[in-house]
Amino acid sequence: MPDSKRFLHPDAIKRISRLDVRARQIVEGFLAGMHRSPYFGQSVEFLQHREYVAGDDPRYVDWKVWAKQDRLYVKQFEEDTNLRCTLLVDVSASMRYGAGALNKYEYGATVAASLAYLILRQQDAVGCVAFDDKARTLVPQRTRRNHLDSILRSLEISAPRGKTDVYPILHKVAETYPARGMMVLVSDLLMPREPLFRGLRLLRRRGHDVMVFHVLDDDELDFPFDGATRFEGLEADGELSCNPRALRRGYLAALGEYLEEVRRGCVRYEVDYALLRTSQPLDAALAAYLSNRLGMHHRN
Amino acid sequence: MPTFLHPALLWGLLIAGVPVLIHLINLFRHRRVPWAAMEFLLISQRRNRTWVLLKQLLLLLLRMTAVAVLVLMLTHPRLPTQWGRFLDGQPVHHIVLLDDSFSMTEQQGGSQAWDRAKAAVERIARDASHSSRPQTFSLIRFSQAANENSGKPDLLDESVRGDFLDRLSDHLKELDCSETSAGPLPALEGIERWLGADSSDQRIVYLLTDFRTNPWAEPGDLKPLLQGLSRSQTGLHLVPCVDRFQPNVAVASLRPDEGIRAAGVPFFLDVAVTNHGDAPLNEVVVQVQADGQARPALRIPRLPPRQTVADRIPMQFALAGTHVVQVELDSDAVALDNHRYCVVDVPAELPVLLIDGNMEAEDATYLSSALRPGGAVVTGLTPRIEKPRFLSQNTLGSFSAIYLLNVERLEDSAIKALEQYVAAGGGLCVFLGPRCAASFFNEKLYRGGTGLFPVPLTGQEALLVDRLEKTPDMQVTDHPIFRVFSGQRNGFLGTVSISRYFATVDPLPESAHTSVEVLARLRNGAPLVVERQFGKGRVVAFLTTAGPEWNNWTRGNPSFVVTMLELQAYLSRPAVEKKPALVGDDLTVSYDASLYQPQVRWVPPVTKAIDPSATEATLQDNGTYNAILQAAPVSGVYRAEYSAKDGGHGDQPLAVNIDPEEGKLDLVDGPALAAALEGVDYRYEPVSTFRYAEEELEGRDLTDVLLYALIALLVLEQLVAYWVGDHPPRTVEKGGDA
Repeated sequence: MPDSKRFLHPDAIKRISRLDVRARQIVEGFLAGMHRSPYFGQSVEFLQHREYVAGDDPRYVDWKVWAKQDRLYVKQFEEDTNLRCTLLVDVSASMRYGAGALNKYEYGATVAASLAYLILRQQDAVGCVAFDDKARTLVPQRTRRNHLDSILRSLEISAPRGKTDVYPILHKVAETYPARGMMVLVSDLLMPREPLFRGLRLLRRRGHDVMVFHVLDDDELDFPFDGATRFEGLEADGELSCNPRALRRGYLAALGEYLEEVRRGCVRYEVDYALLRTSQPLDAALAAYLSNRLGMHHRN
Repeated sequence: MPTFLHPALLWGLLIAGVPVLIHLINLFRHRRVPWAAMEFLLISQRRNRTWVLLKQLLLLLLRMTAVAVLVLMLTHPRLPTQWGRFLDGQPVHHIVLLDDSFSMTEQQGGSQAWDRAKAAVERIARDASHSSRPQTFSLIRFSQAANENSGKPDLLDESVRGDFLDRLSDHLKELDCSETSAGPLPALEGIERWLGADSSDQRIVYLLTDFRTNPWAEPGDLKPLLQGLSRSQTGLHLVPCVDRFQPNVAVASLRPDEGIRAAGVPFFLDVAVTNHGDAPLNEVVVQVQADGQARPALRIPRLPPRQTVADRIPMQFALAGTHVVQVELDSDAVALDNHRYCVVDVPAELPVLLIDGNMEAEDATYLSSALRPGGAVVTGLTPRIEKPRFLSQNTLGSFSAIYLLNVERLEDSAIKALEQYVAAGGGLCVFLGPRCAASFFNEKLYRGGTGLFPVPLTGQEALLVDRLEKTPDMQVTDHPIFRVFSGQRNGFLGTVSISRYFATVDPLPESAHTSVEVLARLRNGAPLVVERQFGKGRVVAFLTTAGPEWNNWTRGNPSFVVTMLELQAYLSRPAVEKKPALVGDDLTVSYDASLYQPQVRWVPPVTKAIDPSATEATLQDNGTYNAILQAAPVSGVYRAEYSAKDGGHGDQPLAVNIDPEEGKLDLVDGPALAAALEGVDYRYEPVSTFRYAEEELEGRDLTDVLLYALIALLVLEQLVAYWVGDHPPRTVEKGGDA
């Protein structure tokens, strides 16, 4: 691990209690680790050439092309608008699980805060929705620097509870933010897949660029338990007494099928998907975000 | 059904329920884990429920079985043998071959091997009586089997039921170890003799013995018999009753020497003592008793290990008759071979017949003077000088020896009488002289080697005088009659001068080579004294005169007297030595049928608690009664008593001794025995730990099988436990990672 990323590891982040400081630490640490940042410092970006037609502003004629080809082309630029991003953070009871430095909720909140910091730093607008079976908090999209405090407060006050019911939330978000923007869903996705995919499809149809950060704990991915164990569902899924070693193979198979289903669903609806382990360094989410930001122009 | 050595431990099978109990307890001791991804866990549980249940059930069964097998192993279960399984109720025949040779009386650890062997016999019978299968029992002692006249064994194919154990116990209490040296061979042969070669019973042979090097180091004829037992599916148990070697000292022999025995004449008893140990012994004391009276003890200064030392005990009896001499050593591991007995027949005098062919009987006078010097010298000999015709007119059996001196010729009847006398064991000495004719001796007495005379004669010869020659005229060999001169400077023999002699055919005929021995030669190499055995007796011929006519030996030379007395002792001893009687041998007495009744009462040694027995003597052709006591059972001095027709009585003592070889206590240990008995299927277990033939009685011991089964079960349990997931993995396998 590069030295600049040493402090992005969950074990290190855990020592920082304030979420804003965590976010700054992560983003600054992440940026400091990059050699060149091609995404910042441009407000207007060239998109393509188009043949000149009468009525076009002669200011956009590309005279260099005319000089080479003796034909008139005008330069077209991408619309010079701010990004409007909404962070959808799952705070249901299942997000309470975590055996490592951070549980899934803490990890997801930290990821959301870091993204908010990064977006605000780029002068873009960011909002936040914390939800379980309903929207627990809703922070509108703003570009102000001090808007970060509102977002962080909404995350901090949201102790995980309740059962996830995602479709109504996504539907509400789609209704609340009709303008096209970016939707970032941070969740363990331990929920029925059909409402999830329906909600993602809805967002995509409304023209939103959607990213899913799938947060799972190491225990959930590896299932390292042994000895007689009684598993008690965090979202009232019942309980099961068993020898975990006996069920491990079947569990991992079912988990693999689930992850594949989620991945396929995201691909189908052109949703960017990233699986995050709670033991992973937190810059993984930022890297995935920026990668997505680079590609979203080409997708629309 | 299997049987159990410790059936009480079968209650321990309840412990097999412990794994179930642990399983139930674990149900209440679950670790609680709040879990988000219940969905996948429930899917896994739904998919694998049956399979997991079966695997866990299998694991539980394996654990229960392992505990049950462990408990069963501790109970020492036994499965009936193959025969027992197929023929439940087939009888078992225990055949105990009990060594009762006297080496079994060896003291070790405060008890005799014999007592330990008897205790083992009782244990075998007692354990057999506990079996549910029909059991029969036979007890064959070695001494019984060795004695063909002993009849049936003590116990033969008797059912082990009812009061059998009591009867056996009583019988064993009364049973003493024999004094024989009987080996195991007759006992093994006795199995077939008394019980038959084949049997529908399952036979088990127990050989309770001390496994001495003789005969077990080289089993010889034993091995085929033992292999035969293996072939016939007979179980064989070799049970050594002695576990370590002990030194032992034994009297190897005791007998009168070859000298003349008569009342008042001193003689010697030859005694030999053997050290069977590995360490030398100093100052070994041999106590001597004659007719119950102690005589001065003999001290052997050093007795090297594994060697026999011979010595002589001086003895003299003033009165004529039979005398009993007993020697005894200090006590050691085996007491019986510390004693030895000898009966010495001491006549009042020994009549000697001198037949002189000369009317003046000059040669006989010289010889008579030598045999009975007179004065203070007592030889016990009574020479009687007679003419040749005396031989055909009188019985010769009463003479201890007959001398023919310068005899010209003999009647045929006299020759026949002489031949009968010698053939019956008498001694004959012939001195030649000027009256003798070679032709007569060759034709009548030599008869081509079939007659009495040892060699054919060619005629008289003169031994030329050579004053420069230093070699003595007479050169003797190491023969008993000249042995007294061996190792000394023969000063007197060297002065003997022979002037004339009878020459023999040179070389001697082929037929004479084996039976004729030259005892002395002349300076020129010609035989001077020759000997041959004839029947049971001996003939010694001096080819010169007994008087001074042809030599100067008889005149004033002391060596002549000594030689003649030795010659008389030699001639009066039978050529064929009577074998000394050992325990188990038949005892024979002969007595005059004209004087005594045929009924004989045999009185055993007074020290042994044996009742006297009576036999009827048989009349022989020579007018004597012969009575036989079959298989003398103990050592000591027996007395054969018979009544005289005139109201008196006669008796003869007879000494019976143990076989000194049995006192050799060297043992063959287990490995050496295994090497010697290669190819024989047997079990070897010391008498101290031996109980009974468990396998044959109750079947095969399953302990080992269960041990292997337990190991296999535990290995299988570990594998299944890992398979089921009861053991934590060494490293967690990563899964489900995107």
